[in-house]
Amino acid sequence: MPVTKVLTAGIGEADLRDISVYRARGGYKQWERAVRDLKPADVMEACDKSGLRGRGGAGFPTGRKWSFLPNNGKPRYMVCNCDEAEPGTFKDHMLLEETPHLVLEGILLGAYGIGCTHAYIYIRGEFKRGYQIFQKAIDDARAAGLLGKNILGTGLDIEVTAHRGAGAYICGEETGLLNSLEGKRGEPRLKPPFPAIAGLYGMPTVVNNVETLAYLVPILEKGADWFASVGTERSKGYKIVSVSGHVQKPGNYEVPIGTTVREIIEIAGGLRPGRTFAAVQPGGQSSACIFEEHLDYPYDYESMAKAGSMLGSGAFTVFDDTTDWVKAALNSVRFYAHESCGQCTPCREGGHWLERVLHRFVEGRGLRSDLEMIRRVSGTITGLNLCALGDSIEPFLKSVVNRFPEQFEARVMQELTPA
Amino acid sequence: MALRQAQGDTAAQGDTAAQGDTAAQGDAAAFDFAGLAARLRPQCEALVAQYEQPRSALLPMMHLFQEHQGYVSQDAMRFAADLLGLSPAVVESTVSFYTLFFRKPVGKYMLQVCRGLMCELNGAEATMALFREKLGIGHLETTDDGLFSYEEVECLAACDKAPCMQVNLEFLYNLTPAMIDEMLELMRTGTYAIAPMVQTAKPERTWKVGQDAQVALGGKSPGTLNATDPNNAGGVGDASGVIMLDRFVSKDVAFTARSRERLVRDARAVAEIVEEEGANGHAGH
Ligand SMILES: Cc1cc2nc3c(=O)[nH]c(=O)nc-3n(C[C@H](O)[C@H](O)[C@H](O)COP(=O)(O)O)c2cc1C
Ligand code: SF4
Ligand code: FES
Repeated sequence: MPVTKVLTAGIGEADLRDISVYRARGGYKQWERAVRDLKPADVMEACDKSGLRGRGGAGFPTGRKWSFLPNNGKPRYMVCNCDEAEPGTFKDHMLLEETPHLVLEGILLGAYGIGCTHAYIYIRGEFKRGYQIFQKAIDDARAAGLLGKNILGTGLDIEVTAHRGAGAYICGEETGLLNSLEGKRGEPRLKPPFPAIAGLYGMPTVVNNVETLAYLVPILEKGADWFASVGTERSKGYKIVSVSGHVQKPGNYEVPIGTTVREIIEIAGGLRPGRTFAAVQPGGQSSACIFEEHLDYPYDYESMAKAGSMLGSGAFTVFDDTTDWVKAALNSVRFYAHESCGQCTPCREGGHWLERVLHRFVEGRGLRSDLEMIRRVSGTITGLNLCALGDSIEPFLKSVVNRFPEQFEARVMQELTPA
Repeated sequence: MALRQAQGDTAAQGDTAAQGDTAAQGDAAAFDFAGLAARLRPQCEALVAQYEQPRSALLPMMHLFQEHQGYVSQDAMRFAADLLGLSPAVVESTVSFYTLFFRKPVGKYMLQVCRGLMCELNGAEATMALFREKLGIGHLETTDDGLFSYEEVECLAACDKAPCMQVNLEFLYNLTPAMIDEMLELMRTGTYAIAPMVQTAKPERTWKVGQDAQVALGGKSPGTLNATDPNNAGGVGDASGVIMLDRFVSKDVAFTARSRERLVRDARAVAEIVEEEGANGHAGH
C-alpha cells in the first residue's frame, strides 16, 4: 500500500497538540535550524527546488509564487489559508486540530522564507474548536520562545495571528480572504494586481494553503531532493487525499502523488459489497467527474487535467451505481448558487437559474429543451467572472449530464397535464 | 485511518456560556447592553491591537459579542462602528455577508446539519427529514419555545464522517436516528454535553402562515415538509415558500380548494412583508 505518513505521521497515535510531545518527536527542529543557521533565501531555495505546488486548489508552484514578491521595501505578509470549505475536502481541518504545531512551524518557515514579520492564519468560522486548539499552539510556542519578539534569542521577530472567519465559502478565494481579513465583506478583488504585489493592507502578500506550508517542515528536514524524488514529472512529493462518498473506509490518506485512481479507491476500503463503480470527482466540487476509463491514471495534476478534470484540493469523492445523478447535480449547483458572493452577473444569476432547472428535473418536471440548455449555458457562465467560483458551477454538472443522460431524460416531463 | 476523534471528545466542553449574562427571556429591554459593552471593551481593544489596521478586528469582535449576547445585535454593531471609526451601515453590510453571524436572536441550540453532496451520498436527506419532523420546523427556523434553531448548511469539512452536523459549532459525526433522539431529549431536559448558547432575547417566530396550514400540519411549520429541496425549504417566510406551498398543497396534503387558495394568498402576503423588511439577507437569521 502506498500510504506514506509524512504530515499525517503520529496522528491518532500521539497527542501532537501537546507541544512537548510534538518537540519530542523532532518538532520545531527545522524552525530552530532555520532561525539559527539558515538564511531566508535558503528556505526559499529549498521550497523552489522541492517542486512543491500549492495544495489549496490551483496547484501553483510555491517557490515561483514567492518569487513574485517585489523587493520594494514594503512590509510583506504571509497568510495561511485554512478556510477549507471546498466540498469534499477535510484535510486542513484534520491538520489544524490534530497537529497544530506542524501547521504553525510551516507558517513560521514560510514567513521567514519570504521575509515577513507578521503572519496570519485565516481559519474557517465553523472550525471553532480548531481555532481554540491553534490559539493554544500559538500561546505555547510563544511561551517556548519560538515566536513573537526575539525568537530563541536571535533578535528575530515574527508574530502569528489566528483569525476566524464567519461562514462564507468565498473567503477561501485568496482575495476574498484578504478582504475578510481586513474586516470587509469577503468579496474577491479584481486581479491584477495579484496579492504578491498588493495583498493584505495593499502590501505584498503570499497566500498559501495549510498543507502547502506544512510540507515545508519535512522538505527542510529531509531535503528538497527527497521531496522532488517522489511523484511524477511535474507533480512532486506527497498529497493528502480526502476520500469520501461511496467507499468503505472514507478518510484522509497521504500518498505519493501519482498513485493511481484505482489504488486510492482501494486504500479507502474499496466500494461497498455488491456495488459497481460509476465515477470519481477527483478535485473537489469544482471539478468534473472522471470515469472507468480513467481508473489507471496517476493521481497528479497533469493526468487529472488530461482526464478532463483537475486535482484541485485533493478531495476525492467516489460514486457507485446507486448515485442519483440528477440530485447530485442539483446539490452541487445549489452549493455554488448559495455561495456566490453576487458581484458577477453570470455567477450570481447563472447558478440560481441552473438550480431551478435542475430542481424541475428532480421533481420529474424537466423539459427536453432544458437538457440542451444545460449543455449550452456553460459558455455563458464560465470564464466571465471575477473569480473561479463562477467557473466552478458547470464542470461537474456537464460531466454527469454528458455521461448519464438517461438519468436526466427519465425525469423529463412526459406530458403536460392540465391543472 | 480515523484521524479525528469521535464526537465524545469534541462534545466534552462547551464554553460559549458567559457568566453574568443572564437570559432575560422575552424581555429584550431588560438586557443591559451598556454593561456588557463596558465589560468587553478591554477585550475588544486587545483584538484591535492584534492587527495592523483596526478594521480587521471587526469579525473577531462580532464573534465575541455573539458569544455573550447570543446574536449580533444592532447595539453590538453600533458599538463596533464607534470603536473602529466606521459607519453603522458599513458594519451591518459586512456582518450580513457572513452566515455565522445571527442578526436576530436564535434558539439556545443552533442545529446545523450538513446538506453537502458527500453527506447526501451517505443519508443526509433522511437525517434532515428526521430533524424537521422531530422539531416541527424547517431550514432557518426557530421553535416557538426558543430552544432550537435549525439550519441546513454547506459541507462542514468532515465528509468522511457523514452524515454530520454542528451543535453550537461543536461537531457531531456519523449521525444515527438514535443519536438524534437522544440528543434532542437531553437538550430539552437541559442535560446535554454541549452547553446551550446564551440567550438574551426571545427569538421571533420565524414562520407565519394562515391557520389552515397549521391545523393541517398539526401545528408544524410548512418548512418541515420540504425534504427534497433544501434550498427552498425556508418555510413561508422565505419568498420561495410560495413555490413550495404550491407544491405541497397540491401533492402532499389533501386541502380543499378554498383553503389552498387562502394558503397561497397568505404565503404571498408574508413573502411581500419579508421583502419589505429586507430580511432576505445572506444569513437569513
Ligand atoms: C471559490 C474558491 C474557494 C477557495 N477555497 C480555498 C480554501 O478553502 N483553501 C485554500 O487553501 N484555497 C482555496 N482556494 C484557492 C485560493 O484562492 C488560493 O489559490 C490558495 O489558497 C493558494 O494556496 P496554495 O498556493 O498553497 O495552493 C479557493 C479558491 C476559490 C476560487
Ligand atoms: S465569480 Fe461569483 S463568487 Fe466569484 S466574485 Fe464573481 S459573483 Fe463572486
Ligand atoms: S458533505 Fe457533509 S461534511 Fe462534507
